[in-house]
Amino acid sequence: MNLRGKIAIKTAKLVASLCLKMGRQGVTWAGLIARKIEPNILKLLSDQVREKVYIVCGTNGKTTTNNMLCTALINNGKKVICNRTGSNMLNGVVSAFVLATDKSCDLDADYACIEIDEASTKRVLPTLKPDYMILTNIFRDQLDRYGEIDITIKILSESIKMAPKMTLVINGDDPLSVSLAKRSGNSFITYGISEKVFDADENSEIREGRFCAMCGAKMHYSYYHYSQLGDYRCPECGFSRPHIDYPATGIECGDHLAFTVENRRISANYKGFYNIYNILAVYTAAAHSGVDMEGFQTMLDRFTPENGRSEHFKIQGTDIELNLAKNPAGFNQNINAVMADTRDKDIIILINDRDQDGNDVSWLWDVDFDRFGEDSIKSITVCGIRCQDMRLRLKYVDISSELEPSVEKAIRNKLQNGVKNLYVLVNYTGLYSTRNILKRMEGEQ
Amino acid sequence: MKITIGHLFPDLLNLYGDRGNIQCMVQRLRWRGIEAEVKAFGIDDRIDFSVLDIVLLGGGSDREQMIVCNRLKEIKDSFKAYVENGGVVIAICGGYQLLGKYYETDNGRIEGLDIVDIYTVQEKGRLINNIFLQSDLFEMPIVGFENHGGRTHINNNKPLGKVIYGKGNDGKSGYEGVVYKNVIGTYLHGPLLPKNPQLCDYLLSRAIERRYGAEASKLTPLPDKEENEANKYIVDRYSDKVENFKEKIRKLI
Repeated sequence: MNLRGKIAIKTAKLVASLCLKMGRQGVTWAGLIARKIEPNILKLLSDQVREKVYIVCGTNGKTTTNNMLCTALINNGKKVICNRTGSNMLNGVVSAFVLATDKSCDLDADYACIEIDEASTKRVLPTLKPDYMILTNIFRDQLDRYGEIDITIKILSESIKMAPKMTLVINGDDPLSVSLAKRSGNSFITYGISEKVFDADENSEIREGRFCAMCGAKMHYSYYHYSQLGDYRCPECGFSRPHIDYPATGIECGDHLAFTVENRRISANYKGFYNIYNILAVYTAAAHSGVDMEGFQTMLDRFTPENGRSEHFKIQGTDIELNLAKNPAGFNQNINAVMADTRDKDIIILINDRDQDGNDVSWLWDVDFDRFGEDSIKSITVCGIRCQDMRLRLKYVDISSELEPSVEKAIRNKLQNGVKNLYVLVNYTGLYSTRNILKRMEGEQ
Repeated sequence: MKITIGHLFPDLLNLYGDRGNIQCMVQRLRWRGIEAEVKAFGIDDRIDFSVLDIVLLGGGSDREQMIVCNRLKEIKDSFKAYVENGGVVIAICGGYQLLGKYYETDNGRIEGLDIVDIYTVQEKGRLINNIFLQSDLFEMPIVGFENHGGRTHINNNKPLGKVIYGKGNDGKSGYEGVVYKNVIGTYLHGPLLPKNPQLCDYLLSRAIERRYGAEASKLTPLPDKEENEANKYIVDRYSDKVENFKEKIRKLI
């Protein structure tokens, strides 16, 4: 490392440890300071990674996919840099590299697994040149933050242009991702779920991609998983689901998940159809880049989604599952996962409208909450800054709910009076505080 | 009694929970024992305005609006006749812009329906935030969320309300939306109607009056606790801000 880089790294580390002493996460500051001192720091450090640099983008599933990929590599005895905390903007990414250096300010790493916020790709990719970009999916997200979905696609395609040698790992079931990949000119590989899993009842979920991203005509689906994901074909221009390099078949999706890829039976002990995509994305990126896949299942058995993604707690005899639900596609998938559990259950929903959540909560009306109208749902409590909006949303599908702005009170109430099976669904800024509350309660026992 | 709601091009114009506006109208009719039918029109469907009581024109991206605008040219005359004949229209965001003569964007001009004498020009910077208005149609304020790059100029038309907190039509005039005959155009989503039951019932009652007469249009009151409290939450949250701001100004003077 050059002298300037060393000064940058030393200073950034000092700032990070000072922040930590003051009880604050110093990740963003450390990244910023390192960049200010040595603008080229990200390139200098990422060049020291011996094998591959992976980045993970996409609306939903970034953190789970990135952390799982990192775990798979570590499991193979590799040294990996990862922004596990989910600090996924430019400074967070820089910080992940800087804080991983040794005393001589050099990296000892075989791989880097970095998740990046879609909007930040245009700031990261000028200096970081990854070998792979895993694009999980493109869904409608917080409209006031990201703008319409067209804007996200535009940012991503401009960013991809900056790294022409990067191979894209694409969800072939997502026409928006595929059209983006085709237009980019980069090489790409695909994964997908290659069989009909759900009955084709026309649900009303928003499907941004149902008009062909190439020509604008309405697309036909021979089967359909969720949102715009499925087996699609445009009758006008012929744009269709591409050849799938890593197809999953033999899908089991209930209180656990299982599928077959490359003649390997893969199973995971958590719920949520969307998690099949997360696992498959990791499998595809790892297998294609030459990682030994023998230990993949063992890794998966030990892997627990952290940071409140399908995270399980047992408190005072109550099973609690905490999950992030921050946009219609993600929320609908969460509802699927909850309804796959046929036992009686209580639900807590926390909705905030801080900047990171999106100030606009109208997306709640694009979620299929009517499916919570079944008898096995014994109660729904609404919490958070916009609990009023959530209660109103449920009223219009004839579901009554209990209003309790404080999630801690709501949880304590259900521990006492609930059916011992509790799902807590929260959007972004509620996630860490709710997780901390649950961790604390777990410790109190 | 039955009310038919026409949802125009939900495949394309479905931003910001427009579904919620449909759900709100349908439920508030059904809760009163009035039958509700929703006809969702695709871009190529023939639209018979004579069977419709309420038309919802929602918002879409500029790209989607351009596709819709080409189709609108073909139905312009029948749409206009429906409005002049007292037909109820609720047009939101992109739909509001399409009511006017044109929407001048950076990528060219989108011709509107020319139903109301208004026009929109795109300017730098989007107006994004919670907003609430005082309308002279109702005592209860109208609350919502705005997110638009276009600035709409309503000429001498009547606005929907005076902006108490937020930006409104063009960020300068202090007014939001437009009211013309039984047409309401507004940038407010959130979605608009669930948190503004007074406005929803206004539309319903106008539609019922037009088809079934004045007597029938007197709606049974509903228990609107959840609606009113969600509305009041926004009003209270931003009234404080308005008050604090006034207080600061007072101190400065």
